[in-house]
Amino acid sequence: MSFQIEPDRAAAFAKAIGADPAAGVPPTFAAVYSLGATAPQLFGDPDAAVDFARLLHAEQEFTWARHPRPGETVTSQGQVASDVTRRGMRFVSFETQTTDRAGQPVCRSKALFVIRS
Amino acid sequence: MSTLVVTFTKNQIAAYAEASGDHNPIHLDDDFARTVGLPGVIAHGLLQMGLMATVAAEAASGAHRLRRLTCRFAGMVVPGDTVTFTAEPSGAGKLELRAVNQRGEPVLTKSSAEVIG
Repeated sequence: MSFQIEPDRAAAFAKAIGADPAAGVPPTFAAVYSLGATAPQLFGDPDAAVDFARLLHAEQEFTWARHPRPGETVTSQGQVASDVTRRGMRFVSFETQTTDRAGQPVCRSKALFVIRS
Repeated sequence: MSTLVVTFTKNQIAAYAEASGDHNPIHLDDDFARTVGLPGVIAHGLLQMGLMATVAAEAASGAHRLRRLTCRFAGMVVPGDTVTFTAEPSGAGKLELRAVNQRGEPVLTKSSAEVIG
């Protein structure tokens, strides 16, 4: 999934988290360009059968090789790393790798979602 | 130690929904949120993490120096809650991160950051 980091959107995101919009792309804008660019493939997949209303985002980790620049286009690939059910709760670990145009790493996202039954 | 105290509002949560593209109605629609067993709308975990990152960036002397950020979303945050976010150096290249609500309950746990030296 290719994603262009629109400077205006990154600035609006910065304001929403109390950061300086002039300080570049906020680190957790990775929630948009990395996790957000790939999560629809998980939630939209009928086989994954994720009930949005019962979904809780339990844990999140971002690891950056570098932070992208405003206007830059990055590419992200997501995959389910594990999917287990324990005591009626389903735990889905979803990992995303984001790279730049040269194929060099930018960010890795690891999200843990819990789906209540 | 860097600190940010935030009293959450519906407007702020809506602004984050708009900027992030996460329009899950549990963050925007009280009636819907109640139908899935919530007290009303709740803040996005990633909004909390974004605010945490803003504090971590200040403690790291620049957002571009953050290399890793980890959070567990341990408690719900609703409009009207006041959360104190703190970032404190905890060894070489590491920050310990805390987010505690007005009742002293942690809302983010197992939270830490790594910064470049």
